[in-house]
Amino acid sequence: MSKAGKGGSDKLQQKSPAEFFAENKNIAGFDNPGKCLYTTVRELVENALDSAESISVLPLVEITIEEVSRARLNTLRGLGDHARVDEQLYHDYESEDARKKRLAKEAKEKQRLEKLAATKGEAAAAAAAADAARKAADGKKAGPARGTLFYKVTVKDNGCGMSHADIPNMLGRVLSGTKYGVKQTRGKFGLGAKMALIWSKMTTGLPFSISSALRKQDFRSQYELDIDIHKNAPNVHSAAKLPNADGWHGACLSLTIEGNWSSYRAKLLKYLRQIAVITPYAQFSFQYIAEDPKSSLKLTFRRRTDVMPPPPKITKHHPSSVDLELVKRLITETKATSLSAFLTREFDQVSKALSGRLIGELRSGGVNASTDPKQLSSQQVVRLHQLLHEVRFADPSGSHLSPAGEYNLRLGVMKELQPELIATHAGDVRVFEGHAFIVEAAVSLGGRELRPGINVYRFANRIPLLFEGGSDVITRTATKRINWGSYKINQSSDRVGVFVSIVSTKIPFKGAGKEYIGDDVEEMVSAVKAAIQQCCAQLRVRGSRWNSCLIAGSSWGNVEEMVGAVKATIQQCCAQLREMAVAVKAAIQQCCAQLRVSRSLRHHCLNAGSLWGCVEMVSAVKAAIQQCCAQLRVKIAKALALREQQQRRRNLTKYIPDAAGAIFTVLAAMAGSDPRGPKRRRLQDSSNLLQQVARKEVVQATLEKKLAEHVERIDTDMALEFQVAQGLAGGAAKQQLWLAPLCDKTHYGPELHANACVVRLLH
Amino acid sequence: MSKAGTSKRAGEDINKQQKKIKNIDEVLKLVKKLAEQGRKNTTAERSLAELDLAHSVREVVDKDADAVLDEIETTMLEVAQSILAGNGYSFDIPSRAKGNQLYVPELDRIVLKDTVSKRPFASSQACRKTAITTRILGLVHELCNKQINVTKRDLFYTDVKLFEDQRESDAVLDDLSCMLGCTRSSLHVVASEKGVVVGRLTFTEDGDHIDCRRMGVGGKAIPPNISKVSNIASDALFILLVEKDAAFMRLAEDRFYNDYPSIIITAKGQPDVATRLFLRKLKLSLKIPVLALVDSDPYGLKILSVYMKGSMNMSYDSSNLTTPDIKWLGVRPSDLDRFNIPAQCRLAMTDEDLKTGRKLLEEDFIKANPAWVAELELMLKKKEKAEIQALSSFGFQYLSQVYLPLKLQEGDWI
Repeated sequence: MSKAGKGGSDKLQQKSPAEFFAENKNIAGFDNPGKCLYTTVRELVENALDSAESISVLPLVEITIEEVSRARLNTLRGLGDHARVDEQLYHDYESEDARKKRLAKEAKEKQRLEKLAATKGEAAAAAAAADAARKAADGKKAGPARGTLFYKVTVKDNGCGMSHADIPNMLGRVLSGTKYGVKQTRGKFGLGAKMALIWSKMTTGLPFSISSALRKQDFRSQYELDIDIHKNAPNVHSAAKLPNADGWHGACLSLTIEGNWSSYRAKLLKYLRQIAVITPYAQFSFQYIAEDPKSSLKLTFRRRTDVMPPPPKITKHHPSSVDLELVKRLITETKATSLSAFLTREFDQVSKALSGRLIGELRSGGVNASTDPKQLSSQQVVRLHQLLHEVRFADPSGSHLSPAGEYNLRLGVMKELQPELIATHAGDVRVFEGHAFIVEAAVSLGGRELRPGINVYRFANRIPLLFEGGSDVITRTATKRINWGSYKINQSSDRVGVFVSIVSTKIPFKGAGKEYIGDDVEEMVSAVKAAIQQCCAQLRVRGSRWNSCLIAGSSWGNVEEMVGAVKATIQQCCAQLREMAVAVKAAIQQCCAQLRVSRSLRHHCLNAGSLWGCVEMVSAVKAAIQQCCAQLRVKIAKALALREQQQRRRNLTKYIPDAAGAIFTVLAAMAGSDPRGPKRRRLQDSSNLLQQVARKEVVQATLEKKLAEHVERIDTDMALEFQVAQGLAGGAAKQQLWLAPLCDKTHYGPELHANACVVRLLH
Repeated sequence: MSKAGTSKRAGEDINKQQKKIKNIDEVLKLVKKLAEQGRKNTTAERSLAELDLAHSVREVVDKDADAVLDEIETTMLEVAQSILAGNGYSFDIPSRAKGNQLYVPELDRIVLKDTVSKRPFASSQACRKTAITTRILGLVHELCNKQINVTKRDLFYTDVKLFEDQRESDAVLDDLSCMLGCTRSSLHVVASEKGVVVGRLTFTEDGDHIDCRRMGVGGKAIPPNISKVSNIASDALFILLVEKDAAFMRLAEDRFYNDYPSIIITAKGQPDVATRLFLRKLKLSLKIPVLALVDSDPYGLKILSVYMKGSMNMSYDSSNLTTPDIKWLGVRPSDLDRFNIPAQCRLAMTDEDLKTGRKLLEEDFIKANPAWVAELELMLKKKEKAEIQALSSFGFQYLSQVYLPLKLQEGDWI
């Protein structure tokens, strides 16, 4: 590729990295003007986030996209307006053929309108005409020639900033960067922002401007520069140090590029929404300024939490993940003077004892612990590399990773999508080819902006992936490998959101654009599947309604809705229960419930306190969230139970006459005939039921009454239980009750018997 | 390909093969041999009780009206007592779910294990079902008392408002026969007639003498109430089980059974209980082989499996419904090439067909017969299926005049 021969000449050419990427823009996601605009914004935003997180400052990112008309661009570029001399030379000149076609089409349209007017009257025709006019206008608007839409993109952050001297090199040289260590990072190649600059240079030729300030620096660096693509070197137009009165730190990049806002508007907004989901601790403000103020747009994604995941740490290479070149590079770079020091210092999970055993294996090659690694022969290096791949090392610990955290993921989803139900799960650290990775998942049900069905949101190293979702491991797992039906979730009609975030020091991306994760990595497939299943299991309603009713306490939210229903239930109960004894029974149960409720309330207050108070205690936060997840499950069950409770009695009563009628008919027939088999005879001997039927002491009404009583009794029991479990936290029916011990000093009335207790009143 | 060309080529085939058909006695030689073998091999049927099974299993038996009445009355009496005692009531229904089914290789049948589910009246989930169960129990009591038979449809219409859907009353009926431990026909409820029989068979149905040779082209409807059939007599050498009504009609109209003494039965697709009972009764009383003529597709095999092994839905009653020893005569996948069935009569199998086919390969009754496995594998390999009617491409009477005689003569059944 770098040796592109021209014509017959076989002259050897060299290409700078910048040139290479300029010619193969699509590698970095610069396919077409629309995508370029999107990728530019995306790269700058991710740089801004990285920059702020690296100094543990809550990110504040301001994005502005300003439409620049061609005329304005020309003045910016110093070009005067150009009057066309030869109209026929241009694309948009209407040729003779085209004109004929257009006229014919217009005539046809007119004819149609006249016909319409004749059949349906003037109004319809007028509407149709307006419609046609709009269509024509649309047609004209659609598909402006390439090279006519320009945008000025500005991204400002509050990150670490760059030192004055470094700025030209950091931005003006492709493949130079600060992100080359073994570390979980958003970007990887030091390419993104620079590709945007190359794109700007290729389309508008305008240099970009940057202002930046380090923390506690009393000046701002202000640069105008561009990249010399041929030399892969910065080309500084102007540099200045301006006063920094308000102590701002961070960077503000601004560049003018060709793009296409209308075709990538939806993608851009989706990206912003999703990055807001995965980084709820950042605040994004987005502004689109169009030439026509009507189509301008302003959005703010608010910060919802101060909890930031810890920044990822640089870790050492895991011995199973190194290749031969890397071993050689480590050897030349290391400061260790002995092989054993080299092994322990440069590799993860290699202890002193282990390095001794490793060197023991190499001894046959004439190596010992004190050999200087730089003295190793190339054969010895190859042997070392082989050995590293053959030996079983402990898996990397994963402590260097920085997952978004269940708390952040949950908060992000709730904030941006407001689902009805949500469950989250963070998986354990798993390992793929010596790289640790963590999978976190959230599954939400309901909520705005979700289509019915499975909506997959993918995040890799805390950036959203929007393109090429079809073959991604997350999409495929969510749609193909999860049996949603078994979690009582309807895959086609429920609004299901699946959010999966994978963080790793190496994400196994597929394709050039780093837009999707391969589906062929077993470890990742199983981790993703397990995480989603965990979430689903949390959502699933488990156990019967009895159990769910009796699980105490969970009374956050939804209480208002339920108070009405609970009141109705209580009134029903009270009416049904018999006077004094029943009132006492209820009161006793209320006492118990109060106790239980206050205990559980205290429990929750404690939890809540830990949630807001000691935010840095990640484990406490996690515990509290898990508690909430458990409640969520209960909530589903409770909602179902409530609905059932309301319909229950109506349903049951409906069938009483049917059942009683059928039973009585058989009984009546039996009373009129003799037993035909031994079983009935035996049973008949032990009861006089049939005689009662014959004497009309038992009639159908008797059965109906008894059945109704039974249903009501069970119903009352259930209603009380239900009320105890659901309602008392709302405070609707609390009553103080004081019970005095029995003693001889007072006189009591006769015993009043109820189902649950015996009451004697004071005289 | 032109029409003339097709008929010419087909004509050659018929001619070529017609030479092979010998006279009727020669043709039937192998069938007679098979019948004799079958008569010799009648081993005493083993019952569940003789087997020492790890699970306690449930099966149902034919009971007379009094025994059924006794069961129902006992149940009802217990229910009434429980209600009067203020405890509501509930039924114990044996589960008919797949998890509760057990294949017994010794008997080659599916039976039910002993899982029982409660159906309490006071539970809002089960209430409706319980009410339906009670109602049907009452209706069956009435039927047994009056000694009359009604169809499932009749039963459903006695209380449409409660039952809502015939499937519900049908399912409850099956539950009831499990619960009472008797066959569905002992409950005096029958399915409406579906099966037809024609051929060399005479029997008495409820006192009327029936001669199946004089039943015209349509045949005699198989009586839903099998207990009223008696005095079965026949000089047939074999029973021909036909999947499709169309093929049945062809054979009946051509009086196939006159040339080749046989009894022809069809259930017009999936067999109903009455047809299965009737076939079983014929097989047991006449002791002649049963040959099956089904489509060459997985569905045809499925139908065979229902005749032989019973359906999942009625597994509790499989001992009374199945006819284990059925020979697969045709149309078999290997016949497609052997008889040069033209390509336009062969259909490509759909994905669904292939899936069903692969599932069938897993089933025990197919695996038990290697020849069947080979045929099924051939079908799945070629991904082609054909209906019995494909044979009509050689002429409408090809089935009765060439195909079947040839098959019988060669003893080509597996």
